[in-house]
Amino acid sequence: MNTRGWNVVGWRPVGVVLAVTLVLGVGVAGGVRALQEDRFPHERHQGLFPLCTGCHQGIPASDEADYYPSPEACARCHDGDQEERVEWSPPVAVADNVTFSHAEHARSLEREGDPAQVCEGCHSEPGRGRMSVSEGIQLGQCWSCHEHRSTDHQVDADCTTCHVPLAESRFTRLQIEDIPVPADHEIPGFLSEEHGRRASTEGARCATCHTQDRCAACHVDADRGEIQAIPAAPAQMELPPAVAHYNEPSSHEDAAWLENHRSAAGTAAAECVTCHTSDDCRACHVAPVPGAVAGLPSRSQVVAPGVGVTAHAPDTHESLFFMGIHGSVSAASGASCATCHEQTFCVACHDGPANGGYHPPSFVSRHSAAAFGRTSECSTCHSTEVFCRACHQESGLTGFGRLGPGYHDAEPLWLLRHGQGARQNLESCVSCHQQNDCTQCHGVLGAFKINPHGPDFDAQRAWERSPRACFACHARAPINGSSP
Amino acid sequence: MSLTGSRYGRKRNVISSVGGLLCMVACMGIPASAAAQGVRGWVGSTVQVVEMRPLALDTVLRSELTLDALGRPVFDGRLVTCALEDLCTLYALGPQRWTLAATQDVNLTAWGFGVEGLSVTTLLRARARAGDAFVWPRSDDRFDALLGYAQLVRGRVRARAGRQEIRSGLGFAAFDGASVFWTPGRWAIEAYGGWSLARGLREPGYDALKGLESYLTDQNVHVVGGSAGYRHSLTAATVRYQREIHADRASLVSERASLDVTSTLPGVRLSAALDYDFSFQRIGKSHLSATVPLGGGHWLVEATARRYVPYFQLSTIWGYFEPVAYTEAETRVGWSPSSDLGIWLGGGWRSYGDAGATVVLQPLRDDGWRGSAGVQWHPMTRLAVEGRYVLEWLPGGFLNSADAVARFRVREGLGVALSGTTFQQFEQFRLGEGRAFGGGLSTDAELTDRLSFTGGVTVLRHRTPDSTVESPWNQTRGWTSLRVGVGREPGLERGGTR
Repeated sequence: MNTRGWNVVGWRPVGVVLAVTLVLGVGVAGGVRALQEDRFPHERHQGLFPLCTGCHQGIPASDEADYYPSPEACARCHDGDQEERVEWSPPVAVADNVTFSHAEHARSLEREGDPAQVCEGCHSEPGRGRMSVSEGIQLGQCWSCHEHRSTDHQVDADCTTCHVPLAESRFTRLQIEDIPVPADHEIPGFLSEEHGRRASTEGARCATCHTQDRCAACHVDADRGEIQAIPAAPAQMELPPAVAHYNEPSSHEDAAWLENHRSAAGTAAAECVTCHTSDDCRACHVAPVPGAVAGLPSRSQVVAPGVGVTAHAPDTHESLFFMGIHGSVSAASGASCATCHEQTFCVACHDGPANGGYHPPSFVSRHSAAAFGRTSECSTCHSTEVFCRACHQESGLTGFGRLGPGYHDAEPLWLLRHGQGARQNLESCVSCHQQNDCTQCHGVLGAFKINPHGPDFDAQRAWERSPRACFACHARAPINGSSP
Repeated sequence: MSLTGSRYGRKRNVISSVGGLLCMVACMGIPASAAAQGVRGWVGSTVQVVEMRPLALDTVLRSELTLDALGRPVFDGRLVTCALEDLCTLYALGPQRWTLAATQDVNLTAWGFGVEGLSVTTLLRARARAGDAFVWPRSDDRFDALLGYAQLVRGRVRARAGRQEIRSGLGFAAFDGASVFWTPGRWAIEAYGGWSLARGLREPGYDALKGLESYLTDQNVHVVGGSAGYRHSLTAATVRYQREIHADRASLVSERASLDVTSTLPGVRLSAALDYDFSFQRIGKSHLSATVPLGGGHWLVEATARRYVPYFQLSTIWGYFEPVAYTEAETRVGWSPSSDLGIWLGGGWRSYGDAGATVVLQPLRDDGWRGSAGVQWHPMTRLAVEGRYVLEWLPGGFLNSADAVARFRVREGLGVALSGTTFQQFEQFRLGEGRAFGGGLSTDAELTDRLSFTGGVTVLRHRTPDSTVESPWNQTRGWTSLRVGVGREPGLERGGTR
């Protein structure tokens, strides 16, 4: 694809008038046609040059320096005496991406014995003779030998027949931007599903219009074979800016995807890395991350930005009642919690110096009722003896020695009636009273020797399990009579 | 049986604490560009202060008593107990007390020491206190290593060694030892063992409870346990077994198992839990809860059946007193017409088992009920309002309370909150009179991308009908907390834990 640089002194006004006339009178199509016309009047010179290679002697050897005649060659006739002078300079070659080799075709000319005829086949309009040279080549002539499988010339896997990869061309950014989009790129799902499959079998076709850099702009796994097979743009090539675009696969739309993606990551990590860097995973996963995550490149290691996942709490966390049930969720599926939360996260709240949010504001002022009517076990976080009893002691709410006189003043004869209340809420009793407070009356050595064990008490089993506890009340072993 | 702590146990605790400290120092000293790929965590300083007048047992001469409207002897409007001939006792307000507790937490996780999957996690806490004779719980315990373990993750196996805790249907179990967690496919298998620490604490019981409990043994407690969990799609179940025994193997401390299940079926989310105490051969706590979203998810209906029985370790006498269980049915209904508004209403009724105790006059109540309602509202982007009302009427106790808090974002990184509370409360089998009112003001500020501050003050005042009785509920509380993020990790905008 070359342009010609032929200017005839004295003919320029005529050419301009003709061009303007053509544009205005014939319209755009005619204008285009005019631009495509050969501005060197080959047909007027056809008697002078029996062979194309007379002027274009570098063509058969693909010697670009001799593709066109020199200005001095023109001046041999156009010397101002024989013919009027002309200004001539060889056309400047513009970048193309054609893999056409005149040398190869020159050899075929020789085989066919008629070089001029072969030039005509591509450069002249059919049926108008060798010197009816037109701008551009006659693609139809190429296809007469190089079979093309599609009516749309860009929808064909055999681009390499005529084209070099884009990276090997000298295309400018504007030329790259002007590369037409093949029709098959417009089909639904091409980007999300189809292009990957085609790239694995038609990579050379991709490389005709794309460099490796275009793939790497989106693909985190730009080191995969199909992409590496596409040549990268040379340093001096200016590429149009590429914006990463990620389509969400249909598998991700499943309601349970968040919970189940681990198995997919384990068995098909190669698919994850297409769009995700390890940074995406680390938005939720705490370190050290699972092996499948560690195997992914980080954002700093690749060109593509990756999807850019941000931490997202599961739907369960959004429930009005989540704080109340999170203990159950954690107990049933602690591994899920550990994905995003380190142990320190739980401890910071459950054992935080200041309430981390588990209890509502001002809870401490009315916690006694909540503790008394407990639905969850306070002592799993709060040491009854150290946390509860110590504070109650400081507040003057702790019984010292036997049952504190007068504290439980809402019940008359409390001391005689406390058994039922104690069995109903023994954890609350323990938040003020030591074991000693009870054994003073209930122990074998206590004042009243009142048996604290209920009707279903299995003394034999208790003795077998924890004989040490028996001696808190019993001076001798309650079962076999031995001493502690 | 010695009542003093074992010097071997104390030595182990010191070693564990020092080990955690060394881990922290080592982590802080590691340049991120050198041995460790990353260090992340936070350092937090918290100060809490409270001022109040604790109750004190006082005596009064019988001759100074009067009778109230019910004919009960009172002194200055307060009920008295007269056991002796001339002297009676009463709970009176003592002098004004105040105390300040300061805690310094350091939490660090460092990883990438040249060994794939290796990390070290520490959460250390130092405490100090100031003030008069009033002692904030645990503020005299100068140092604790809450967590301090090394972790190695290889494929689907995670191993930990050091001070750690297990969260499960059996509650929190902290121990010094080792654990292995393996996740083959949909399974999650865990095994652990070591020296058990006191419940709710990070020290062996004989050290932590010295002076606070009557019967202590100097024996270490060994813990072994394991769990197997299975997860399929939106259903997960875990069964766990845990056994604690004194080091001399003379007495068992606990032997329990638990089963926890959650499942999200079409249209309903189920949660069930049950634990079993092998020592007493009985079922412990259990619940079955079903949550049903209705109306396109705008309505949430939750029904729960619960059985609760207190759990005590065999190392105390409490379990042998045979506490009884209660069973409860509870329902909550939530309504969220939009993401800006959520309203819920709930109620429950419970019944206690037969205590089998001696009945004098008439038995105590053995049933109770409670109700609550709440609202979460975002009337504008910067403003969030929460309110809650609770009414509980249980054997021996009563609560009628209302709370509200409004949180306003002044600007990005700066918020203020105004709270108010009022309640009537009868504590355990103790008369309550009047109503308490209180309010508070707090603020939270992100000073930089790593530095945040929270602080606030609350004031509570108790008012009785005749304003004659003062109460320990007349108190003022304040707190400040400064937290600094340390280190960085890809995916995290700032240092911290999740």
